[in-house]
Amino acid sequence: MIMIRAIVRPDKKDLILNELSGAGFQAATVVDVVGRGKQKGITVGDVIYDEIPKSLIMLVINDGEKEDVLDIILRHAKTGETGAFGDGKIFVSPVDEVYTVSSSLAGL
Amino acid sequence: MKEIIAIVRMNKVSVTKKALINVGAAGFTASKVMGRGKLVEDKSLIAGRRKTLMALAQKDDQATDKLITEFLDGTRLFPRRLFNVMAHDEEVPKIIAAIIAANKTEHKVGDGKIFVLPVLDAIRVRTKESGEAAI
Repeated sequence: MIMIRAIVRPDKKDLILNELSGAGFQAATVVDVVGRGKQKGITVGDVIYDEIPKSLIMLVINDGEKEDVLDIILRHAKTGETGAFGDGKIFVSPVDEVYTVSSSLAGL
Repeated sequence: MKEIIAIVRMNKVSVTKKALINVGAAGFTASKVMGRGKLVEDKSLIAGRRKTLMALAQKDDQATDKLITEFLDGTRLFPRRLFNVMAHDEEVPKIIAAIIAANKTEHKVGDGKIFVLPVLDAIRVRTKESGEAAI
């Protein structure tokens, strides 16, 4: 199993969650985060904004579903056709074990 | 070294903290998150929940009905607490058992998930110890 952590624009969050849900990836956790990227935040005159609000969408899926999920997020997190700085990043990490509390069973 | 990510109900935070202390893994990081789980396929479970909520609302108009339907259709995000706990490999089963014991309810759904992720390295800032010694 793998964990996908996608940092996306807050206004794209609902769209991405809806699309994921439509494709059968219902379960997700969302955290409001602040951060900056390679562009060192946004500079307006002398003021640097380097704590830009983003949404972090976290979901754990089976290995074979990775491409589908990445495709959905990449397609819908993008601004316009070409994308823009600040559209976000996606991180993929391995997950060894998963347990559901209510049933005490291992697995998704 | 493993990272245990546990998502628990808001009102189970203090019992989870106590359980972690009892099992010898007192250190943790927690944050407030919103999330949803798998679609509930058991229709009778939803019907039962719906009945309870309607009884709680004490109203039977269309607005209440719509609100409760939206509440149960699986698209809504619910508030939960996310715990990150770092643990030695051999302590992981013990900690998971403790978290499950503390968080299990009779509601059948919504009790949360526990993920176990591998960790490459850890460093204690104060002493610069790294690896297993840092946990």
